[in-house]
Amino acid sequence: MDRSKVSAAPPYLPHSATAPATPSITQLHSRLQTYWRALGVSDPDQAAALAEQALRRASELPETPELDPAARTILAAGELLDDWLAQALKLPRPSPELAAARAALLSGAAPDWPAALFAPPGMAEAALETLRSAVAEPTPVASPGLMPAQRIELFSLF
Amino acid sequence: MTQPSQSPIMGHTLRRVAFFLLVTLTTLIALGLMASAFHSNGFSPMELLLLLLYAILFSWICVSFWTAFMGFIAILLGRDRWAISRQPGTPPDFTGPPGRTAILMPIYNEDSERVFAGLRAIHQSLADTGQLADFDFFILSDTRDPDVWVEEELRWQDMVRALDGKGRIFYRNRPENISRKSGNLEDFCTRWGGHYRYMIVLDADSLMQGATLVDMVRLMEHHPRVALIQTPPIPVNRESLFARILQFASSIYGRMFTAGLNYWQLGESNYWGHNAIIRIQPFLDHCGLPKLPGREPFGGDILSHDFVEAALLRRAGWEVWLAYDLEGSYEEIPPTLIDYAKRDRRWCQGNLQHLRLAFSRGFNALSRLHFLMGVMSYAASPLWLLFLIATGVEAFIQAQQRPVYFFGDNWIPVWPVSFAVEMTTVLLVTLTMLFLPKLLALLLLLKDRRLLRAYGGIVGASLSVALETAFSVLTAPVLMLFQTKFVLAILMRRAVGWPPQQRGDRMTSFREAALTHGIQTGIGIVAGFLSYCYVPAFFWWFTPVLLGLALAIPVSILSSSIALGQQARNLGLFLTPEECDPPDVLRYLEDGLREGDPVLPALRGAPVNRFIQALTDPYVNALHRSLLPEREPPSKRRRHYLEGLIHQLEEEGPDSLSSAQKRELIADPETLLRLHALFWSRAPVNAELLT
Repeated sequence: MDRSKVSAAPPYLPHSATAPATPSITQLHSRLQTYWRALGVSDPDQAAALAEQALRRASELPETPELDPAARTILAAGELLDDWLAQALKLPRPSPELAAARAALLSGAAPDWPAALFAPPGMAEAALETLRSAVAEPTPVASPGLMPAQRIELFSLF
Repeated sequence: MTQPSQSPIMGHTLRRVAFFLLVTLTTLIALGLMASAFHSNGFSPMELLLLLLYAILFSWICVSFWTAFMGFIAILLGRDRWAISRQPGTPPDFTGPPGRTAILMPIYNEDSERVFAGLRAIHQSLADTGQLADFDFFILSDTRDPDVWVEEELRWQDMVRALDGKGRIFYRNRPENISRKSGNLEDFCTRWGGHYRYMIVLDADSLMQGATLVDMVRLMEHHPRVALIQTPPIPVNRESLFARILQFASSIYGRMFTAGLNYWQLGESNYWGHNAIIRIQPFLDHCGLPKLPGREPFGGDILSHDFVEAALLRRAGWEVWLAYDLEGSYEEIPPTLIDYAKRDRRWCQGNLQHLRLAFSRGFNALSRLHFLMGVMSYAASPLWLLFLIATGVEAFIQAQQRPVYFFGDNWIPVWPVSFAVEMTTVLLVTLTMLFLPKLLALLLLLKDRRLLRAYGGIVGASLSVALETAFSVLTAPVLMLFQTKFVLAILMRRAVGWPPQQRGDRMTSFREAALTHGIQTGIGIVAGFLSYCYVPAFFWWFTPVLLGLALAIPVSILSSSIALGQQARNLGLFLTPEECDPPDVLRYLEDGLREGDPVLPALRGAPVNRFIQALTDPYVNALHRSLLPEREPPSKRRRHYLEGLIHQLEEEGPDSLSSAQKRELIADPETLLRLHALFWSRAPVNAELLT
């Protein structure tokens, strides 16, 4: 086996060549801001503030050896979003409804979602209602029935 | 004054007795003529074999002929008093809750854009009737391809948003596609069936007019003893020459055959798997399919489940009807000869499996006949091939024999008796049985001027029938060899997979045609050479078969041409009423495919790799995760396996993963979340993948 050919191609998701193994706070901050913008936060100041919160939340997350610090901060951002959603829509967490609510939020159903989620209680009911109505309902509630396998006696003429 | 009503049971029996009597008598007469030609010197083993094969094959042709003839009479008279649509039935019980209906579309790795455009067209057509509120839609996905899976989810969400369909349009993807399509439907029935009185089962390429759906429910409501009503789906929408010829044939002859089937089968009809309405409770009670003992291809899952479900409903005393006169039911067919044969390959195994069921205890006689007819629709091909070979061998043996004019001391010559009249009669009777239904279908057009115009007028329709006949003569030997190969492969226990069907129009390349038809062409040339050299008289009788085989490659390529299909249409050939004046649902589909502008931003723009999008796009990732079924956390071993796949994706990229591995990655919510975080925490080598 020609070992020189193994891993000759660059990895698909490389750690940045210039960056150290552990990215700096500034780098994490920058990636988080990019991520918040991808989630629909258009205000740069708000994205920066949310990045700050995600960094703090990341430090509270339990240690996971398979995730590097940068990935943990992205996960922390998602956790924060779920916290706010669960609180605003009064949903249990974790729950399928919460996952569906996150999808509804990111679908653009509530264009200025930070305003809706961070508004004082009762001040953004219309936006929250729009969000609730945009939550997908993939299947109806179960109404189970039995379908017993039928008996078929093969090759019996008589 | 009212006429005394005749007993329907007596009428049903009379029709069946007449039908089977006609089939039996015609077969016996033809067989008698053939036997008299063979009998001069006693029967040789080869002649006995020929007689046996002829008896089976001719009775098969007779079933088809007399069905068409009865359909001809039924349409000519314009009424069939015992058709389900003509029976008043009993008024529905308005005191109970109204029966809701679920429209089910089971799909498996299909073209999502077409599937959802079709559903939207049906939805719009149903909305036109004002009865939309009585129906829910279910997309029951068994898709394994990760890209198609994600695409389906996005298209479903887009449809829900665009049509305000929350709580009415549902989607689920089964984690394991146990028992294929029948398992898919069973999963629906056992989980949500209790919400509905009826389900209308569609296929991925089915289209149904809203008014037809409403009529189907109405018929079920008025006939509480009916468990299933099948509508005859008419092939539409294809553009290739091959498909247009088939569409024309199915449209013009099909209505006669379905009317005929209804004429003698009545409430003991069959189920064709889609475009049918089913009463859910009896389906739950009686249609749970067992696994057949033994291994595939004859054991295991029941593949062609529809025939079996109809038989089980009949066994339990429920009625199953073919509503031959219910219009507005459509389907799309394979675009090329090769795709048509591939579909046959899948169906063949399921139908041959029915041989075991035909003799099972408890099924009624007509259900057994349905099973045997299903078997014969494929077994007929190897039998025809055997018949042709045996005829060739017999002709060769006859050619080697010199006539003896003087026996012993007798000086008066004994001239050989000629049986040309008998044999010519046999041939003419067989050809009449095969081709007369085509003429009868043409005659029926004269009864309805509107319909005649829709088929291109008397000249266009006649020319189309003549050309379609020539085309079917050319392709019949090719299909015979295909089906013979399939039957032999199955008998040798080579099971088929479950490949998705090619549904869109496409042209067959020379390479594909040569690879597929090369051996068939070779067989045609060799058989032609041998018969020409050794049995020249037989060669000329054999030319239609030889020509079909020798021309298989060009016929396959040319008939797949969309340009030729369109040109034929411009010339007024192979026209169908659906082409001339498309019903609403077909127009809605065309509009949707042409102008459909997605509501979801994730679906706009150039097509992207949906698997990557599920990892990278926050919305697609969240939507996909929200649709994953709840399940136990993965075992330690499985976590390690997924970990390995994540590392493989990180280091070697998505192309290094198989489709099944990609599916496993996006089927686990934790892994999905982790990969999403990984992508956003680093820049991938190919940044375009993130867009």
